[in-house]
Formats: sequence, structure tokens, C-alpha cells
Amino acid sequence: MAQRDPATPRPLRLVSDGRYADWEAVYRDNATWVYRTIFARVGNRADAEDLTTEVFLAALRPLRMTATVAEVRAYLRATARTVLAAHWRETLGREVTSIADIGMAAPDAEDAISTAPQRVHAVLEALPDNYRRILELRFLQSRSIKDSAAELGVTVANAKVLQHRALRLAAQVNEKDER
Amino acid sequence: MNARGLRRYVDDLLRGRRPKPFRPDDFEAAQIRTAIDLKAAGMGADAPRPEFLTDLHRRLAEQAEGSGATGATVHKLSASRRQVMVGTSAAAAAAVAAVAVDRLVIRGDQPSDAQTTQADAELTPSEASWQHVAASSDVVSDGVMHPFEVGSLIGFVHRVDGKAEAVSGVCTHQGCRLWFDKPDDRLRCPCHSTSFSPAGQVLTHQLPISPKPLPKLQVREVDGSIQVLAPVYPSEPA
Repeated sequence: MAQRDPATPRPLRLVSDGRYADWEAVYRDNATWVYRTIFARVGNRADAEDLTTEVFLAALRPLRMTATVAEVRAYLRATARTVLAAHWRETLGREVTSIADIGMAAPDAEDAISTAPQRVHAVLEALPDNYRRILELRFLQSRSIKDSAAELGVTVANAKVLQHRALRLAAQVNEKDER
Repeated sequence: MNARGLRRYVDDLLRGRRPKPFRPDDFEAAQIRTAIDLKAAGMGADAPRPEFLTDLHRRLAEQAEGSGATGATVHKLSASRRQVMVGTSAAAAAAVAAVAVDRLVIRGDQPSDAQTTQADAELTPSEASWQHVAASSDVVSDGVMHPFEVGSLIGFVHRVDGKAEAVSGVCTHQGCRLWFDKPDDRLRCPCHSTSFSPAGQVLTHQLPISPKPLPKLQVREVDGSIQVLAPVYPSEPA
């Protein structure tokens, strides 16, 4: 029809942003930050591994490789958010932690992965010495209750009570800071 | 209140075991949140195990191979409750995520999708004539898409490698009129955040299924006039 030049250029494609070659490249580049993002919000390996698995199984299937790197990452974070929310609904019936919507900001940045270290630092600073010590020993250094009791020069029973009270107070400080 | 549930949960976190479900109240949830923070803040605590990464890679490869048979694959590998659940919830999770993300979210699991998202469809009206839409001198290679309207046809014209090209200016989803977002170099639909490349391909959408690409319009340049093959409208003799 009409005089249409057969040598019309191919449709213009936007190639300004980087793209992944295949799903393996997506996985290699993003598995670690997705896992760390989830671990920071569940605090244990078993759940972090299961949820990370769920994110990739769910996200890679419908993923089209024409998406840019930034879009793929935003999509993975959004999928992780959904998966984590479902996890809390099923296990504790409430959203204990969540993955914030950060738009197109880089989700592999340390701040986006976790702000736990900063929060923990602030909370520990606010606690009395023995409370701070027991939490450091038990949670940060993964020491046993017996070990920790010996370190603090108290009985195991006392160490348990101390840990219990320290966590309660830390939670109160933490919640106050959130607001 | 569920002091025992909480104590057990924190204990499991400390021992690196999978914590057991219970129904915490507000303050117990706050303590769990703080305990999670504390565990996550430990040095190097959050590095994934290499064995885990390798194993997940293998499972994803299986999924990629048997695309479509994912449900079966997951069940075959059965182990934890979570893995079995993946089969039923993955699609739902992906759909929810797709709606939540403004960009990307172009699903590829419809078989016909491959054809429909390629911007090859060309508008060929049954009764058409070449109609002037812009002066050649007005459309230069500066990346700007010039809107035009001739009779019942709305579109955008621009230059690609010096040659004039045109696409429809109406969204293929529900017919809203597109506008050209120059900084982002794309045509945007105000109705559902769909966006199209200057060549008419879908770049982003928030819909369960990708809308079709924009039809291309046939263009020619004659004597300093850019013309589009447009339908003959009633006021003009054929």
C-alpha cells in the first residue's frame, strides 16, 4: 500500500538502562540482598531461606527480560514485601516487620536492606549496663545462657530473668523511637 | 497474653531454629520485633549459606526448564510446609506484587504475549488517504513526539534516524488519550499508569495482563509535509 519505504528502521528501543541477559543473571545479582533483606525481618535462617526461595520462584516466572535492572530489583523487593506479609499473617497473625516501599530507590543499598544495626545501637545505648550486656551476649554474640551468666557473675536463673526484662525494656525503647 | 509462646519464640530465635507460630499481643509482637533486630544486627549473621544459594539455583533452573509445570516441581521436591505452599501462593503473590509496582510488571506467562507486545501491528484503514499532520521542518530529530489529530485519528509523529514515524495516541487498554513525557521519553496513559515507548511498545503497566502495543501509522514525507495514511472522514470526498 502506497509508497512505503521497505527499509523503514526497526522500532526504536530504549536501551539506555542496563538489562539482565537471563534469569540466572537476575538470580546471581540479587539473591544475596533479597536474602539479607528478609533475614533482617525474620531473624532466623530457616524462615529467611524459605521466604527467599518463595520470592524467586514467584518472581522469576512472570519476569520479562526486557525490564531494566532497576525495574527488576524494584519488582523483587515488591515480591519480597508481599511474601513477608503473608508469612506474618500465617505465623503470628500480625505484621511484625515489613519491607517498606522505597519506589525505585536501590533496594540493594545497606539502608534499604536493614536499619537494624542503627536501631539496635540506639536501643542498647539507652539501656542500663547489665541489660545491655545480657542482650549483647545472648543475641549479638550468640553465647549460651550458662556462658552469659558466668560472664556476668550471676546464676543461670538470674540471667534468664535479666534477659527477659532487658528485652521488654529494649522493646519499649525501640517502639518509642519508631514513633 | 501468651508468655510461653513468646519465650519459646525468642528461644528459637536465639538457637537459630525456626520459631513456632502463636498469637502475640501488641507488646509481645514488639518484643519479637526487637529480638529480630538484635539477631539481625549480629556481625555477619545475615549472609546466606552457599549451599542454600546453590540449591535454590538448581530449583530455579528446574522451574525455567519445565516452565508451566512449576506446581508439580515444587510438590515433587516436597519438604517443608513452606515449599508446598509455594505452588499455590506464588502466582497470587506475583500478581499482588505486580499491581504494587508502578514500573515493569509485564507478565510473560501468556503464550500469545510474545506476539502481542511486539509493536508490529500497523494501522491500515480500509478507506484511507494521505493526510498532512506536520511540516517536515517542525519535526526534527530531537526526541520530541509531536501530537496530531486528523479526523478520527489521534497520534504522535517523531523522527528515528531521520525518518518520520508515527504511532497511535490512544491507549490500547481502554482508550484514554496518551501524553508525551519528554524527560522519560515515553507516552503515558493517565488512566492506569500504562506507558509506551516512542515506538509503541508497552514499557510499564499495572494491569493483570499487558495491554497491546500501540499500532504504528504509515507515514510519508512529500514536499516538506509529513503525511499519515488516515481514514477518510465523511466531510472529505474519497
